[in-house]
Amino acid sequence: MDDVVLHFHPGSVVGLSSLLEQTEKLLEPFTCRPPPVFSPWFPTVPAGHQLPIRPAKAAPRINPAGGVLTAERGNSIVSTETPAKHADKTEDALCISETPNHLIPVSQTTSTSPRQHPETETDRLPVQRSWNVFTQGGFLLQSSRPLSKCFHRLVSVHRLHLHQRAKWVITEQNCNDVEKVWRSLTRSVRSSGLPTCNANIQRERAEIWVFCDVLYSEKVGRFLKDELQLSGRIHLSVHKLGNIFSL
Amino acid sequence: MTTLTRQDLNFGQVVADILCEFLEVAIHLILYVREVYPSGIFQKRKKYNVPVQMSCHPELNQYIQDTLHCVKPLIEKNDAEKVVVVIMDKEHHPVERFVFEISQPPLLSISSDMLLSHVEQLLRAFILKISVCDAVLNNNPPGCSFTVLVHTRDAATRNMEKVQVIKDFPWIVADEQEVQMKEPRLIPLKSMTSDIVKMQLYVEERAQKT
Repeated sequence: MDDVVLHFHPGSVVGLSSLLEQTEKLLEPFTCRPPPVFSPWFPTVPAGHQLPIRPAKAAPRINPAGGVLTAERGNSIVSTETPAKHADKTEDALCISETPNHLIPVSQTTSTSPRQHPETETDRLPVQRSWNVFTQGGFLLQSSRPLSKCFHRLVSVHRLHLHQRAKWVITEQNCNDVEKVWRSLTRSVRSSGLPTCNANIQRERAEIWVFCDVLYSEKVGRFLKDELQLSGRIHLSVHKLGNIFSL
Repeated sequence: MTTLTRQDLNFGQVVADILCEFLEVAIHLILYVREVYPSGIFQKRKKYNVPVQMSCHPELNQYIQDTLHCVKPLIEKNDAEKVVVVIMDKEHHPVERFVFEISQPPLLSISSDMLLSHVEQLLRAFILKISVCDAVLNNNPPGCSFTVLVHTRDAATRNMEKVQVIKDFPWIVADEQEVQMKEPRLIPLKSMTSDIVKMQLYVEERAQKT
């Protein structure tokens, strides 16, 4: 602040001290009043026609505890898994979820879908699981051994990355009944814990696809062959290269 | 270097293709980072030369694909102003809104050499920002779900027909409850300017999440 010079008559009635006091008061900063919070008189959300749009169907919900796929119906959550399946759920069975159940009409799983199907016999059929995710940390992971020489050479020849995804394909030639093998595989999900794996059944092709990292693919393949008692050869394929290995 | 003009190709379609591809990756990543779904359903993939987490759950993937398939015509015609990924609590009140504000320049003249590499670099930066945004956001309450809101430039009802491209995937006007947020905190994440599109991403976060 610049210096302030006070001029006064020596003989004035008001004394110097009071003049100084008065000047100091004048030089004090103005008190600031905080402005009130601005609240607009108009609604913060514009009129209805400017509201955004959204899909009528709610996003799927996946329960982390049991991996149960649920869908919303109004405000309630509807489980698509049967109570019996709930009962044999284990804590290890993380994220076992299910594909859209084509047997249940959309009107049953969504709140505002305009489709209204009459209830048919197929509506009451149990859900057919067609998709699985395997948990980490199973026995295969714990007893991990290096790749066999043959497989290691294959990885080098094709310059595969160890965390690249590979796919085992189980066809009808490997078993009599793909559905039966799929059920066995689903059961073994809970006990085995195949690392980095997820699997799905391609019902229209009568094939089971088991995806895993290249690193574990050999072990996963052997496990599948032994555990599911597959006959013939199962093939391992990778993106772009196609079939690269058979067991 | 070839210079392309509006007559050479449908720019709207190019922009819509690029943006929808980006939005798909971004939505998956947001759902992973904000823990809307269990981490077990996500797998690490590579996009724009950076690691991203993508869901491998068929129903969720289908839902996201259907949503973006419907949004695409709006972006193509430059009718979509904002695409918002809203994370909602159990009571369906928004706790976080990831707002992608999109704007396309009226006059387009781009060089094909520059287009892909430059746009990819910019989109990569968005992805990287999303992947670390949990550092600046508070944890969400358990049991959250999500929805995608599309703010259109014109009245929403006018755009309803454009967006109804999938028969079994109807669209409706959102409720005010899904749009309004109490005392939101604004967190700008990233903005980009390119020859074909301008975009900015910010997060609106509810002050009291629980």
